[in-house]
Amino acid sequence: MTLYLKLAWRNIWRHRRRTFIILISISMVMGLMMLYDGLIAGFEQAIYGNAIKVLGGNVQIHAAGYEAQAKQLPLLPLPDDTAILKAARARPEVLAASRRINTGGMATSREGAFAVGIVGLEPEVEGAVNTVAQRVTAGRFLSAADRDTAFIGKGLADAMSLAVGDRFTLVGRAAHEQMRQRTMTVGGIYDIGLADLEKRTIYVSLAEAQDLYGLGGSATEIAITLQRIGQEPALMAALRPIAAGFELSSWETSLPEMRAAIRSKGAAMDIFGVIMMIVAGIGIFNLLMMAVYERTREIGVLGALGLKPGQISLLFLLEGAMLGVVGLAVGIAFGLLINTLLGQVGIDYSKFASMTEYTALISGKIYSTLGVENLLQRGIVVLIVAIIAAVYPAREAARNEPAKSLHFV
Amino acid sequence: MLQIIKLAWRDLNRNRRRSFFSALALGMGLALLLLMAGVIESEIRSSMDTSIRLQSGHLQIRAVSYNENRASLAWEDLVEGPAGIAAQVGALPPVSAATPRLFASGIVASGDTSAAARIIGVDPASAANDPYRAGILSGQWLTADDRDGIVIGKPMADKLGLKAGDKPNVLVNTANGDVDTQAFVIRGIYSTRTPGFDNGTVFMSLAKAQAITRAGDHASAIFVLLKDRDQTGAVVAALQTRQYTVLTWDRMNALLSDTEELANSYMILLYLIILAITATVIVNTLVMAVFERTREIGILSALGMRSGRIMAMFFAESAMLALGGILIGLIIGGAMVAYFGSVGYYIGDFGVTGMLFSERIYATLTLKDAVNLSLAALVVTLVASLYPASLAARLEPVEALRGGWQA
Repeated sequence: MTLYLKLAWRNIWRHRRRTFIILISISMVMGLMMLYDGLIAGFEQAIYGNAIKVLGGNVQIHAAGYEAQAKQLPLLPLPDDTAILKAARARPEVLAASRRINTGGMATSREGAFAVGIVGLEPEVEGAVNTVAQRVTAGRFLSAADRDTAFIGKGLADAMSLAVGDRFTLVGRAAHEQMRQRTMTVGGIYDIGLADLEKRTIYVSLAEAQDLYGLGGSATEIAITLQRIGQEPALMAALRPIAAGFELSSWETSLPEMRAAIRSKGAAMDIFGVIMMIVAGIGIFNLLMMAVYERTREIGVLGALGLKPGQISLLFLLEGAMLGVVGLAVGIAFGLLINTLLGQVGIDYSKFASMTEYTALISGKIYSTLGVENLLQRGIVVLIVAIIAAVYPAREAARNEPAKSLHFV
Repeated sequence: MLQIIKLAWRDLNRNRRRSFFSALALGMGLALLLLMAGVIESEIRSSMDTSIRLQSGHLQIRAVSYNENRASLAWEDLVEGPAGIAAQVGALPPVSAATPRLFASGIVASGDTSAAARIIGVDPASAANDPYRAGILSGQWLTADDRDGIVIGKPMADKLGLKAGDKPNVLVNTANGDVDTQAFVIRGIYSTRTPGFDNGTVFMSLAKAQAITRAGDHASAIFVLLKDRDQTGAVVAALQTRQYTVLTWDRMNALLSDTEELANSYMILLYLIILAITATVIVNTLVMAVFERTREIGILSALGMRSGRIMAMFFAESAMLALGGILIGLIIGGAMVAYFGSVGYYIGDFGVTGMLFSERIYATLTLKDAVNLSLAALVVTLVASLYPASLAARLEPVEALRGGWQA
């Protein structure tokens, strides 16, 4: 076996030019496929990432029993959450973990009544990471000391004819089901470019919400924002051991429509990816077949020297595998290099489209991931193609009479 | 010239397997490009169609001071005597339907759950309501003299646990800023298969909506559908008045057009990746072929063929390969697009309101895309073949005869 390995290795480097062409093909194709994968994941983050942030974060922690009545947004206080909060914040992929009270209510002014979601949050924690906090068009974001102050969307402000400093009435449900009413002052207005979405949610400070709903010092939810979509399962697995008395869920549960959208978008991109593999596969196959057919005479010599067809096939199998492995290694290095670069710098599409003026939810700047999502599957396919393409013509030649192969032109 | 083409054709035929696979690789690459273009094109086009049909119409005639975000019901922001205007507009030949609509905001409450609602007062008989009428899942559509009936979407019915015949309270914001609450009967539950729309939209008859919001004989807009989208400009010109503004579908759906722009600009990058993969494969195959055929080239040049002609011959081979590949690509790509065009695939709700995407995406291919992408594939192949062709042309006859390139 070692002999065959040695022979194969030597053969590869004896046909330097051929090997070089094949390696360029395999590695370019592999690198380009990684670029594709990285970009697709990057698009996903750009299109859905901010929406997930605004609509409640990547992962939520609730008290046990929340899920069963999640539609009613129950005011179930979390048990002691210091440990789990600390554990979550210690993870590198966590951008922010913040305590919230999440419920529904009604905002009324002289313009009418509007059903809204009410989110009590810790302004000092979320000020730096929450998209709405960065899209303030009037007034300012909340501060921890704020009392009777709400941070509302431009869509709601328009509909209710409210400006900063104006007052409106907020009616909410307290922990014991009776309605609580409070006059609030508009402290700031955010604009994320989608009026419908802005009408849906108003923000108050956590202390205010605790007061309004009689929840003492506790929160009903911990909302965790991650660097990118797809890191949720790992985080949830890491937190589960210390999550007794808590329920962990991700945006996939709270936003099923978006999950379906991403899934089926992903399915389309996967189909494209598979077809791309076929293109690459045919190319590599053709190239390697050519290279081996070119060596028919050499195979004749091997046969004349007494190598059995099986042994010749083995030799070419090893060569194909080696070419595949070396090509893949170079290709992966090439792909990682490009993707790291694009992940750092990002590609700014906002120059080509006026999109970003309209909505804060879709980012015009795309950062590639490393593109390792489908690496294993793509690598294996390339390797198998390389091996088949090397063995098939070799077997054919090896089965012939050596004399015939020797005279092959 | 003819001779070169003949030579090239014979050469391609001599090694059929190689020629076939080269053309196939190019063809699959092109087919993939066509499929991607078809899917993107259709996604955008169908969401624009959905949005026009369900939400914006081709045209809306509104009062100059009307602010969509506010859904204002003050009389000065509304269209007065809407039935008459709608009848006038509806009489124009390019118009297929014109109907008054009143938009109000409200809350639907049942038990201790409630949901925000966008209430649309419609003339139940109008043909413009066909998409909703056709989407009725249980119960029935509104009748013209219905004074206490509403039709709600399936997602809202699920959330509030309501079914046809139930009587939820509906809270409606009125023209003078009060809130009026009244129990309504759910006549029917509809689904337009567009969750972003169905989620919050509640229909009631225009007469009832005008009464409960104290809007008098006013409407928020005249909703106009045309027989053909391309006639928008002509109809707008015919409708210009000082009193009202006419909004067109492209302006009302600016977000969607922008998304299209963004999608197109990032798809270009994906196209480039695929073209690059195809080009890599083709260049390397051609280079390998040149090396394989060193001796043959040596004979040709020893017989006196000038290097320019050798280059032209290889170039002609590549061009034929490219044409063959494009043919294969158009056939395979056309078949794939046709398949996705008839079957479609489920995409669900994008979760972002303001952009209505239908639940299924189909693929459609425009002639423009097909021609552009085929040309791109041709150009890329020809450019890619320059290097191998010049490689062949540069060989020294004697060296080539000896197979001098065989390292």
